[in-house]
Amino acid sequence: MKALSLPDYTTRLLLLAAILALVLGGLLAFLVPTDVLQGPLTRILYLHVPVAWVAYLSFGVAAGYALAHLLTRQAKFDRISAASAELGVIFTSLTLITGMLWGRPAWGAYWVWEPRLTTTAILLAIYLGYFALRQTVPDREVRGVVSGAVAILGLIGVPISYMSVYWWRGLHQTASIDLVNQQVHLAPPMLAALLINLLAFSLIYLAFLRARSRLAELEEKWESS
Amino acid sequence: MRSYWLWTRDLRIEFRSPVGTLAVVSFLAVVILILGLALGPDPASLQAAAPGALWLALAFAGSLLGQRVWSLEVENQTLDELFLSPGGLEWIYWGKLAFTSGLVIAVGILALFLLQLAFSFSPYPLIPHLVTLFLGGLGYSIVATFLGAITARVRAGEILLPLLLFPLVVPVILGSVRASSAIATGSADYTTWWGLLVVFDAIYLAGCTLIFPWMQR
Repeated sequence: MKALSLPDYTTRLLLLAAILALVLGGLLAFLVPTDVLQGPLTRILYLHVPVAWVAYLSFGVAAGYALAHLLTRQAKFDRISAASAELGVIFTSLTLITGMLWGRPAWGAYWVWEPRLTTTAILLAIYLGYFALRQTVPDREVRGVVSGAVAILGLIGVPISYMSVYWWRGLHQTASIDLVNQQVHLAPPMLAALLINLLAFSLIYLAFLRARSRLAELEEKWESS
Repeated sequence: MRSYWLWTRDLRIEFRSPVGTLAVVSFLAVVILILGLALGPDPASLQAAAPGALWLALAFAGSLLGQRVWSLEVENQTLDELFLSPGGLEWIYWGKLAFTSGLVIAVGILALFLLQLAFSFSPYPLIPHLVTLFLGGLGYSIVATFLGAITARVRAGEILLPLLLFPLVVPVILGSVRASSAIATGSADYTTWWGLLVVFDAIYLAGCTLIFPWMQR
């Protein structure tokens, strides 16, 4: 039954490391000093920012593997691409949910038609369309190729979503770790807590990606047997 | 050269029996009428909403054209033969893009004058409006033609196309609406939005041209 073992040892190791990092990150998120302006409300930052980062990462990886599949037609690249896009959809949904939970007390409404929220919702819509497309194509290779094209083209939504806070003036604050201007707007203990949580969610992503790709491989084997 | 041949061939087929184009024009008129009923009758609010109505109507009508450009081949069972032609396949995409964008821009010009009647929206100064229609219509068609090639051959493709297309063309529609609004209100901001449209047109055109041959191989 070794062939059917799911997940493999590396995945389990990654998951274990992710859980440890998550426990540490969770503790730090509640131990670091509260924000001067928003008080305890900002603690959602330690969840919201990591899930948003993983969402962007997922779509980037999905597009990268979609390109690899397009060029080589190797089934495993399509499986990884689809698995990553699936995680991207989950983490984008979590980003929107955590953002809305933050927005209700901070802005007075769960949803406002604000550039960052709108572009993130559009990003989610692009990849929901990607999965709708995958459902309609029965042939494995064709499915991988056509949905891969959408995954690559859809990646344009990521920089638009990220840069929306700089391009258009909205309610959403600019990034705490500002990659555009290369500045950090966080006190060192807060930054440490955020980085630990970023690591934790990145490890969760890697573990889930491996497990989901493996599951897809087993599904394909099962269908073809 | 082969793109030009494909473009003129598609135009000839379409104008011999312009069922698709007539359906698109009728649909566009109906959308403008419904939007007018929903947003009117106050002339000031209609005028303010006109740029949005223009691009919304064009986006809806354009999705039909994105499907139409490939369904011509599917109906005539010539799609596979087209893709079996030797050499690179970019020319097929460019030929089809010329067909879609030409019709989208032409329908857009018609919409501009329909809005003058229905929304009291002035199509003047004409040249900036035409430039906006060209840049926005081209950007929209680049993505619509590309996705049309995917959805023409899949089950429920006509439903899937708008689902895939609309989220992807949001930057183009946004830029076009803002440029049209700026022109209508006499603001000079429209050149900034033209810049955005040029950038998105270039990104989408480069991306679609590079991916298309690999996708159809």
